[in-house]
Amino acid sequence: MASKTFQLPPAVYSPALVESVIYDIQYYLDWVRQNQIRKTVGAKAKDEPTHSAETVLVINAWLAGKPASVESLEGLLAALHALKLPEVHIMLAALPNQSQREALVTWFRTNVSPSLLLSFVADRNLGGGVVVRTPNRVFDFTWKQQLISGRSKLAGILKRV
Amino acid sequence: MNVQVLILSGVVVMLVLVVIVQSLQLRRDTQQQVKDSAAPKPVRVSEPTAAELETKLKAAYEAKIGEATVTFGTDLQATSTRLTEQVSRLTTTVIEEELVAYQKTLEEVRHVAIQAMEQIHEAVEHQRVELRDGMEAELAAEKKLLADKFDAKMGDVVSSYISEALGSGVDLGAQMQFILTSLEAHKEEIRKDLLNGV
Repeated sequence: MASKTFQLPPAVYSPALVESVIYDIQYYLDWVRQNQIRKTVGAKAKDEPTHSAETVLVINAWLAGKPASVESLEGLLAALHALKLPEVHIMLAALPNQSQREALVTWFRTNVSPSLLLSFVADRNLGGGVVVRTPNRVFDFTWKQQLISGRSKLAGILKRV
Repeated sequence: MNVQVLILSGVVVMLVLVVIVQSLQLRRDTQQQVKDSAAPKPVRVSEPTAAELETKLKAAYEAKIGEATVTFGTDLQATSTRLTEQVSRLTTTVIEEELVAYQKTLEEVRHVAIQAMEQIHEAVEHQRVELRDGMEAELAAEKKLLADKFDAKMGDVVSSYISEALGSGVDLGAQMQFILTSLEAHKEEIRKDLLNGV
Protein backbone atom coordinates (compact mmCIF):
# COMPACT_ATOMS: atom_id res chain seq x y z
CA MET A 1 0.00 0.00 0.00
CA ALA A 2 1.20 3.52 -0.71
CA SER A 3 2.65 5.71 2.00
CA LYS A 4 1.27 9.01 3.22
CA THR A 5 3.00 10.94 0.42
CA PHE A 6 0.67 9.54 -2.17
CA GLN A 7 1.51 10.62 -5.70
CA LEU A 8 -1.49 11.17 -7.90
CA PRO A 9 -1.32 9.69 -11.39
CA PRO A 10 -0.61 12.32 -14.08
CA ALA A 11 -4.15 11.98 -15.41
CA VAL A 12 -5.54 13.33 -12.15
CA TYR A 13 -4.29 16.85 -12.49
CA SER A 14 -7.08 19.17 -11.32
CA PRO A 15 -8.93 19.81 -8.05
CA ALA A 16 -12.19 18.95 -9.79
CA LEU A 17 -10.81 15.58 -10.85
CA VAL A 18 -9.57 14.89 -7.32
CA GLU A 19 -13.05 15.69 -5.98
CA SER A 20 -14.59 13.43 -8.58
CA VAL A 21 -12.19 10.60 -7.71
CA ILE A 22 -12.94 11.00 -3.98
CA TYR A 23 -16.66 10.87 -4.72
CA ASP A 24 -16.16 7.74 -6.83
CA ILE A 25 -14.07 6.00 -4.22
CA GLN A 26 -16.54 6.91 -1.46
CA TYR A 27 -19.29 5.39 -3.59
CA TYR A 28 -17.15 2.33 -4.22
CA LEU A 29 -16.39 2.00 -0.49
CA ASP A 30 -20.10 2.12 0.30
CA TRP A 31 -20.67 -0.57 -2.27
CA VAL A 32 -17.91 -2.73 -0.77
CA ARG A 33 -19.40 -2.34 2.73
CA GLN A 34 -22.93 -3.11 1.56
CA ASN A 35 -21.64 -6.06 -0.40
CA GLN A 36 -19.92 -7.44 2.67
CA ILE A 37 -23.19 -7.19 4.62
CA ARG A 38 -25.10 -8.80 1.76
CA LYS A 39 -22.53 -11.53 1.64
CA THR A 40 -22.90 -12.06 5.42
CA VAL A 41 -26.69 -12.30 5.27
CA GLY A 42 -26.59 -14.31 2.04
CA ALA A 43 -28.23 -11.66 -0.07
CA LYS A 44 -27.47 -11.22 -3.71
CA ALA A 45 -24.58 -8.87 -4.30
CA LYS A 46 -25.16 -5.68 -6.28
CA ASP A 47 -23.21 -5.04 -9.42
CA GLU A 48 -19.94 -3.26 -8.94
CA PRO A 49 -20.30 0.40 -9.81
CA THR A 50 -18.44 1.72 -12.79
CA HIS A 51 -15.44 3.99 -12.20
CA SER A 52 -13.97 6.75 -14.22
CA ALA A 53 -10.61 6.13 -15.81
CA GLU A 54 -8.96 8.52 -13.32
CA THR A 55 -10.51 6.68 -10.36
CA VAL A 56 -9.27 3.38 -11.66
CA LEU A 57 -5.78 4.82 -12.04
CA VAL A 58 -5.84 6.18 -8.47
CA ILE A 59 -7.16 2.93 -6.95
CA ASN A 60 -4.60 0.89 -8.85
CA ALA A 61 -1.80 3.22 -7.82
CA TRP A 62 -2.93 2.95 -4.18
CA LEU A 63 -3.52 -0.81 -4.02
CA ALA A 64 -0.42 -1.66 -6.06
CA GLY A 65 -1.87 -5.02 -7.10
CA LYS A 66 -3.43 -5.95 -3.74
CA PRO A 67 -7.17 -6.68 -3.48
CA ALA A 68 -9.47 -3.85 -2.43
CA SER A 69 -10.74 -3.90 1.16
CA VAL A 70 -12.71 -1.53 3.34
CA GLU A 71 -9.55 -0.62 5.28
CA SER A 72 -7.47 0.02 2.17
CA LEU A 73 -10.19 2.16 0.59
CA GLU A 74 -10.67 4.08 3.82
CA GLY A 75 -6.91 4.64 3.88
CA LEU A 76 -7.02 5.88 0.29
CA LEU A 77 -9.87 8.28 1.09
CA ALA A 78 -8.02 9.59 4.11
CA ALA A 79 -4.88 10.06 2.02
CA LEU A 80 -6.83 11.90 -0.69
CA HIS A 81 -8.53 14.13 1.88
CA ALA A 82 -5.19 14.83 3.49
CA LEU A 83 -3.64 15.95 0.23
CA LYS A 84 -2.75 19.62 0.36
CA LEU A 85 -1.37 20.21 -3.08
CA PRO A 86 -0.52 23.61 -4.49
CA GLU A 87 -2.88 24.75 -7.21
CA VAL A 88 -2.00 26.51 -10.42
CA HIS A 89 -4.67 28.10 -12.58
CA ILE A 90 -4.00 28.23 -16.28
CA MET A 91 -5.93 30.64 -18.48
CA LEU A 92 -5.77 30.14 -22.24
CA ALA A 93 -7.57 31.53 -25.26
CA ALA A 94 -9.41 28.23 -25.58
CA LEU A 95 -9.72 25.09 -23.53
CA PRO A 96 -6.85 22.70 -24.37
CA ASN A 97 -7.53 19.33 -25.90
CA GLN A 98 -6.23 16.22 -24.20
CA SER A 99 -2.78 16.23 -25.78
CA GLN A 100 -2.29 19.91 -25.10
CA ARG A 101 -3.48 19.43 -21.52
CA GLU A 102 -1.13 16.52 -21.05
CA ALA A 103 1.74 18.56 -22.44
CA LEU A 104 1.07 21.34 -19.98
CA VAL A 105 0.53 19.00 -17.02
CA THR A 106 3.73 17.14 -17.86
CA TRP A 107 5.64 20.34 -18.19
CA PHE A 108 4.44 21.62 -14.82
CA ARG A 109 4.98 18.35 -13.00
CA THR A 110 8.44 17.97 -14.54
CA ASN A 111 9.69 21.51 -14.23
CA VAL A 112 7.84 22.96 -11.28
CA SER A 113 6.65 20.28 -8.86
CA PRO A 114 5.61 16.65 -9.29
CA SER A 115 2.71 17.14 -6.90
CA LEU A 116 0.54 20.01 -7.93
CA LEU A 117 -2.94 20.50 -9.33
CA LEU A 118 -3.80 22.43 -12.45
CA SER A 119 -7.08 23.95 -13.45
CA PHE A 120 -7.78 25.26 -16.94
CA VAL A 121 -9.92 28.25 -17.83
CA ALA A 122 -10.63 29.65 -21.28
CA ASP A 123 -10.93 33.34 -22.16
CA ARG A 124 -10.99 34.06 -25.87
CA ASN A 125 -10.27 37.74 -25.22
CA LEU A 126 -6.71 36.75 -24.42
CA GLY A 127 -6.10 36.26 -28.12
CA GLY A 128 -3.10 34.07 -27.48
CA GLY A 129 -0.59 33.04 -24.86
CA VAL A 130 -1.22 31.97 -21.29
CA VAL A 131 -1.87 33.43 -17.85
CA VAL A 132 -0.51 31.38 -14.95
CA ARG A 133 -1.90 32.15 -11.51
CA THR A 134 0.02 30.68 -8.60
CA PRO A 135 -0.98 31.17 -4.94
CA ASN A 136 0.87 34.50 -4.73
CA ARG A 137 1.42 35.77 -8.24
CA VAL A 138 0.00 36.08 -11.71
CA PHE A 139 2.33 35.42 -14.61
CA ASP A 140 0.96 36.98 -17.74
CA PHE A 141 2.47 35.54 -20.90
CA THR A 142 -0.31 36.63 -23.20
CA TRP A 143 0.16 38.30 -26.52
CA LYS A 144 -1.57 41.34 -25.16
CA GLN A 145 1.00 41.62 -22.40
CA GLN A 146 3.79 41.07 -24.88
CA LEU A 147 2.41 43.90 -26.97
CA ILE A 148 2.13 46.19 -23.98
CA SER A 149 5.61 45.40 -22.70
CA GLY A 150 7.00 46.05 -26.17
CA ARG A 151 5.26 49.40 -26.49
CA SER A 152 8.52 51.16 -27.32
CA LYS A 153 8.71 49.01 -30.42
CA LEU A 154 5.12 49.89 -31.20
CA ALA A 155 5.91 53.60 -30.91
CA GLY A 156 8.88 53.12 -33.20
CA ILE A 157 6.78 51.30 -35.74
CA LEU A 158 4.10 53.99 -35.57
CA LYS A 159 6.77 56.63 -36.20
CA ARG A 160 8.06 54.76 -39.19
CA VAL A 161 4.63 54.25 -40.69
CA MET B 1 32.74 124.43 21.75
CA ASN B 2 30.59 124.81 24.81
CA VAL B 3 33.57 126.35 26.60
CA GLN B 4 33.87 128.99 23.92
CA VAL B 5 30.21 129.78 24.25
CA LEU B 6 30.63 130.04 27.97
CA ILE B 7 33.64 132.34 27.57
CA LEU B 8 31.75 134.57 25.17
CA SER B 9 28.76 134.62 27.44
CA GLY B 10 31.10 135.58 30.31
CA VAL B 11 32.58 138.41 28.26
CA VAL B 12 29.11 139.69 27.47
CA VAL B 13 28.12 139.44 31.13
CA MET B 14 31.33 141.26 32.09
CA LEU B 15 30.61 144.07 29.66
CA VAL B 16 27.09 144.36 30.96
CA LEU B 17 28.48 144.45 34.50
CA VAL B 18 30.97 147.17 33.50
CA VAL B 19 28.15 149.26 32.04
CA ILE B 20 26.04 148.73 35.13
CA VAL B 21 28.96 149.57 37.46
CA GLN B 22 29.76 152.73 35.50
CA SER B 23 26.13 153.74 35.52
CA LEU B 24 25.97 153.18 39.25
CA GLN B 25 29.20 155.15 39.75
CA LEU B 26 27.82 158.01 37.69
CA ARG B 27 24.60 157.98 39.66
CA ARG B 28 26.53 157.87 42.92
CA ASP B 29 28.66 160.80 41.81
CA THR B 30 25.55 162.69 40.85
CA GLN B 31 23.92 161.88 44.14
CA GLN B 32 27.10 162.86 45.97
CA GLN B 33 27.09 166.12 44.14
CA VAL B 34 23.45 166.61 44.98
CA LYS B 35 24.15 165.69 48.56
CA ASP B 36 27.14 167.97 48.62
CA SER B 37 25.09 170.69 47.14
CA ALA B 38 22.35 169.96 49.63
CA ALA B 39 24.74 170.09 52.49
CA PRO B 40 24.28 172.99 54.61
CA LYS B 41 27.67 174.36 53.66
CA PRO B 42 27.52 177.80 53.18
CA VAL B 43 29.03 177.60 49.75
CA ARG B 44 27.75 180.20 47.60
CA VAL B 45 27.89 179.59 43.94
CA SER B 46 26.64 182.12 41.62
CA GLU B 47 24.06 181.15 39.16
CA PRO B 48 26.22 181.48 36.07
CA THR B 49 28.88 179.38 37.77
CA ALA B 50 26.29 176.77 38.74
CA ALA B 51 24.97 176.78 35.25
CA GLU B 52 28.48 176.47 33.89
CA LEU B 53 29.25 173.66 36.30
CA GLU B 54 26.08 171.90 35.42
CA THR B 55 26.84 172.25 31.77
CA LYS B 56 30.32 170.86 32.31
CA LEU B 57 29.01 168.03 34.42
CA LYS B 58 26.40 167.27 31.89
CA ALA B 59 28.96 167.29 29.11
CA ALA B 60 31.29 165.06 31.12
CA TYR B 61 28.43 162.72 31.96
CA GLU B 62 27.32 162.53 28.36
CA ALA B 63 30.93 162.02 27.24
CA LYS B 64 31.28 159.11 29.67
CA ILE B 65 27.97 157.69 28.61
CA GLY B 66 28.94 158.03 24.94
CA GLU B 67 32.33 156.48 25.65
CA ALA B 68 30.72 153.57 27.51
CA THR B 69 28.14 153.19 24.78
CA VAL B 70 30.82 153.10 22.10
CA THR B 71 32.87 150.58 24.07
CA PHE B 72 29.80 148.50 24.74
CA GLY B 73 28.76 148.76 21.11
CA THR B 74 32.21 147.69 19.93
CA ASP B 75 32.31 144.81 22.37
CA LEU B 76 28.78 143.88 21.53
CA GLN B 77 29.58 143.89 17.83
CA ALA B 78 32.66 141.74 18.36
CA THR B 79 30.69 139.42 20.59
CA SER B 80 27.91 139.30 18.08
CA THR B 81 30.39 138.52 15.31
CA ARG B 82 31.94 135.78 17.40
CA LEU B 83 28.58 134.46 18.36
CA THR B 84 27.52 134.43 14.74
CA GLU B 85 30.69 132.64 13.79
CA GLN B 86 30.18 130.22 16.63
CA VAL B 87 26.56 129.66 15.77
CA SER B 88 27.53 129.19 12.16
CA ARG B 89 30.26 126.76 13.14
CA LEU B 90 27.96 124.96 15.53
CA THR B 91 25.26 124.79 12.93
CA THR B 92 27.69 123.46 10.36
CA THR B 93 29.02 120.88 12.80
CA VAL B 94 25.54 119.84 13.85
CA ILE B 95 24.43 119.60 10.27
CA GLU B 96 27.53 117.63 9.40
CA GLU B 97 26.99 115.31 12.34
CA GLU B 98 23.34 114.95 11.46
CA LEU B 99 24.28 114.33 7.88
CA VAL B 100 26.77 111.66 8.94
CA ALA B 101 24.15 110.08 11.21
CA TYR B 102 21.61 110.31 8.44
CA GLN B 103 24.05 108.78 5.99
CA LYS B 104 24.80 105.98 8.46
CA THR B 105 21.11 105.35 9.03
CA LEU B 106 20.55 105.45 5.29
CA GLU B 107 23.36 102.95 4.82
CA GLU B 108 21.87 100.65 7.46
CA VAL B 109 18.44 100.93 5.91
CA ARG B 110 19.94 100.25 2.50
CA HIS B 111 21.78 97.22 3.92
CA VAL B 112 18.61 95.92 5.56
CA ALA B 113 16.66 96.55 2.36
CA ILE B 114 19.30 94.69 0.33
CA GLN B 115 19.17 91.78 2.77
CA ALA B 116 15.39 91.75 2.62
CA MET B 117 15.55 91.88 -1.16
CA GLU B 118 18.00 89.00 -1.22
CA GLN B 119 15.79 86.98 1.12
CA ILE B 120 12.76 87.73 -1.01
CA HIS B 121 14.73 86.83 -4.10
CA GLU B 122 15.86 83.55 -2.51
CA ALA B 123 12.31 82.77 -1.39
CA VAL B 124 10.97 83.54 -4.84
CA GLU B 125 13.68 81.42 -6.44
CA HIS B 126 12.95 78.58 -4.02
CA GLN B 127 9.24 78.87 -4.74
CA ARG B 128 9.94 78.93 -8.45
CA VAL B 129 12.11 75.81 -8.24
CA GLU B 130 9.50 74.03 -6.11
CA LEU B 131 6.76 75.07 -8.48
CA ARG B 132 8.77 73.95 -11.48
CA ASP B 133 9.60 70.60 -9.84
CA GLY B 134 5.98 70.13 -8.85
CA MET B 135 4.78 70.99 -12.31
CA GLU B 136 7.35 68.73 -13.90
CA ALA B 137 6.36 65.88 -11.57
CA GLU B 138 2.69 66.49 -12.32
CA LEU B 139 3.41 66.64 -16.02
CA ALA B 140 5.43 63.43 -15.84
CA ALA B 141 2.66 61.72 -13.86
CA GLU B 142 0.06 62.96 -16.33
CA LYS B 143 2.23 61.84 -19.23
CA LYS B 144 2.71 58.43 -17.66
CA LEU B 145 -1.01 58.15 -16.97
CA LEU B 146 -1.82 59.04 -20.55
CA ALA B 147 0.83 56.66 -21.85
CA ASP B 148 -0.48 53.87 -19.61
CA LYS B 149 -4.01 54.57 -20.76
CA PHE B 150 -2.85 54.59 -24.33
CA ASP B 151 -0.95 51.35 -23.83
CA ALA B 152 -3.91 49.70 -22.15
CA LYS B 153 -6.25 50.89 -24.89
CA MET B 154 -3.79 49.85 -27.57
CA GLY B 155 -3.39 46.47 -25.91
CA ASP B 156 -7.17 46.11 -25.73
CA VAL B 157 -7.52 47.20 -29.33
CA VAL B 158 -4.86 44.81 -30.55
CA SER B 159 -6.04 41.87 -28.47
CA SER B 160 -9.65 42.56 -29.44
CA TYR B 161 -8.59 42.77 -33.04
CA ILE B 162 -6.66 39.52 -32.74
CA SER B 163 -9.52 37.72 -31.00
CA GLU B 164 -12.04 39.13 -33.50
CA ALA B 165 -9.78 38.22 -36.39
CA LEU B 166 -9.26 34.75 -35.03
CA GLY B 167 -12.97 34.39 -34.34
CA SER B 168 -13.91 31.16 -32.70
CA GLY B 169 -11.16 29.23 -34.37
CA VAL B 170 -8.37 29.85 -31.90
CA ASP B 171 -5.66 27.38 -32.76
CA LEU B 172 -4.17 26.55 -29.40
CA GLY B 173 -1.89 24.02 -31.02
CA ALA B 174 -0.11 26.77 -32.92
CA GLN B 175 0.36 28.64 -29.65
CA MET B 176 1.70 25.70 -27.64
CA GLN B 177 5.29 26.32 -28.63
CA PHE B 178 5.01 29.97 -27.60
CA ILE B 179 3.27 29.00 -24.34
CA LEU B 180 5.85 26.36 -23.43
CA THR B 181 8.71 28.71 -24.32
CA SER B 182 7.22 31.42 -22.11
CA LEU B 183 6.76 28.96 -19.25
CA GLU B 184 10.29 27.64 -19.71
CA ALA B 185 11.67 31.16 -19.51
CA HIS B 186 9.96 31.75 -16.17
CA LYS B 187 9.93 28.32 -14.61
CA GLU B 188 12.25 29.30 -11.76
CA GLU B 189 9.97 32.15 -10.71
CA ILE B 190 6.89 29.93 -10.92
CA ARG B 191 8.55 27.18 -8.95
CA LYS B 192 9.81 29.56 -6.30
CA ASP B 193 6.42 31.16 -5.87
CA LEU B 194 4.62 27.85 -5.75
CA LEU B 195 6.99 26.32 -3.19
CA ASN B 196 6.90 29.47 -1.04
CA GLY B 197 3.15 29.67 -1.27
CA VAL B 198 2.52 26.15 0.04
